[in-house]
Amino acid sequence: MRNDLASVQAFLASVIPGHAPIPDDPALAEAAARFVTGNGRLTPAAQVDIYRRQFWLRHREILRDDFPALARLLGDAKMDAFCRDFLDAHPPTRAPFETLIEPVPRFAEAWPGFETQAERTFAADLTRYEIALLEVRTGPDAPPLDPQKLASLPEDAWERARIVLHPAMRRLAFSYPVHRLRKAWLVSGEPAVFPDAPSPAHIALYRNRELVTHFEELEPEAFALLDLLAEGAALVPALGRLAEPLPEERQAHVAASVGRWFQQWTSLGLVVDVDLPSSS
Amino acid sequence: MTAPDRMRLGLPDLGIGVGLRLPHYEEIFETRPKVDWFEIISENFLVPGGVPLANLDRALAHYPVIQHGVTLSIGGTTPLDFDFLRDLRALLRRTKSPWVSDHLCWTGTATLNTHDLLPLPYTAEVVRHVAARARIVQDTLEVPLVLENVSSYLTYTSSDMTEWDFLTAVVEEANCGILLDINNIYVSSQNHGFDPRAYVDAVPAERVVQIHLAGHTNYGDYIIDTHSGPVIDPVWDLYRRAIGRVGPVSTLIEWDEDIPPLATLLAEAERARVVREEVLSHAK
Ligand SMILES: [Fe+2]
Repeated sequence: MRNDLASVQAFLASVIPGHAPIPDDPALAEAAARFVTGNGRLTPAAQVDIYRRQFWLRHREILRDDFPALARLLGDAKMDAFCRDFLDAHPPTRAPFETLIEPVPRFAEAWPGFETQAERTFAADLTRYEIALLEVRTGPDAPPLDPQKLASLPEDAWERARIVLHPAMRRLAFSYPVHRLRKAWLVSGEPAVFPDAPSPAHIALYRNRELVTHFEELEPEAFALLDLLAEGAALVPALGRLAEPLPEERQAHVAASVGRWFQQWTSLGLVVDVDLPSSS
Repeated sequence: MTAPDRMRLGLPDLGIGVGLRLPHYEEIFETRPKVDWFEIISENFLVPGGVPLANLDRALAHYPVIQHGVTLSIGGTTPLDFDFLRDLRALLRRTKSPWVSDHLCWTGTATLNTHDLLPLPYTAEVVRHVAARARIVQDTLEVPLVLENVSSYLTYTSSDMTEWDFLTAVVEEANCGILLDINNIYVSSQNHGFDPRAYVDAVPAERVVQIHLAGHTNYGDYIIDTHSGPVIDPVWDLYRRAIGRVGPVSTLIEWDEDIPPLATLLAEAERARVVREEVLSHAK
């Protein structure tokens, strides 16, 4: 039996994520005694078990801190079960907590602990939103849009200009209005329950100039237009692509609304630059 | 006796600091309390932008800030993460932290990151392994690396030296500094049954660049380094002993669980200042 550093670490890494106390498992207790001394009060297995318990408490705390609305919805016992199953399926392999929580929505979408597929869809939306809140808070900075620059654009600029969106902004499409529900539960203290029926929502999640995070609900067409702009399309061609599959009456609505949308996006700070490629 | 200018590896004594923690931000920025410096957890600020870096800049406008890390895993057996080191170096340029600390420990393997600070076996082979990695880290970061002794709850069958001999051998072979956590010495001494005074007396005094003081939680059969509650009297006694040996060294109060009002934390820092000055004036 090797007792070098890598073997010691491999043994501990294999038992620390376990659920059951290590002293209760004779084979593990025997293996622990090969690597760990114990002392007058604690057996080797009991010493290792301190780290196993700490691992669980630490990761449960991380998940509860990052997903407070999910924790409210599930309650303590079910949230614990969710965390246990999640850590089993996705044990942390890297240091940053962002990489630990990244698979949570996908995991929620398939977790057998939920009673219905609707609950799974809701939990996936909710956890996607809770991750986005963290990302917006720490996303890249960008200087605000220079109004002079906007005013001095030539007539034909919108044919060619790339509209630069704030790099920390997130565009999210949900089957359920999780942004409003989360606020109602955590800010207004309303009881956290699964909603009866879906109600699709499109939002832009952004932080304002004081770095406070807000959501803005968007019409589906406005959301689709932001998507096209984020891909790098100029405004006029983007509007063309957006309108093409729409019925006439929605096309007219887009044409009538786009000025108002754009004004709203610039005033909220979602648009940070208009990048006009030099015409050759 | 080491010449005074070689103490702390020639690094400055910043006085008494506290950890910069979220619940205190607004009060700190509004009232600018009398505290000599702040310590940050580097990893909390390795983000592209937004709120954490804006708050860091507000602190930097008025106080020195020292970077303390928790994920380096200097004793790990997976390759060093150079992307992480590059990000850490970029943050060091922002904070101008004159040194950077992390723990003499390992945190995980290729298959599991425990997000914990696990002790290493105390052997000559592990000394060589850790010191080689510490030299690379120090060269990459371009500021002195300072390694902190951790609290531990187990001891290894393969260890064949004391923890203090191990710590000394690593920092001498790697030519780096020590962040002496007095509470961790106390916690480990209680868990493993050694005399904490022997530890404090044995570390190379000239390499001690920073000191940590903290509270802990006693579970009877073992003590866990929770960084909650005030520093207990036996730890203050060890601190006196350490200052008597190492002289004026930057001292920090850590309080991370059940974080108290800022005034309570600052009162604990003031206690450290009084204790430190008492010992230093006696030495004169
Ligand atoms: Fe510490």
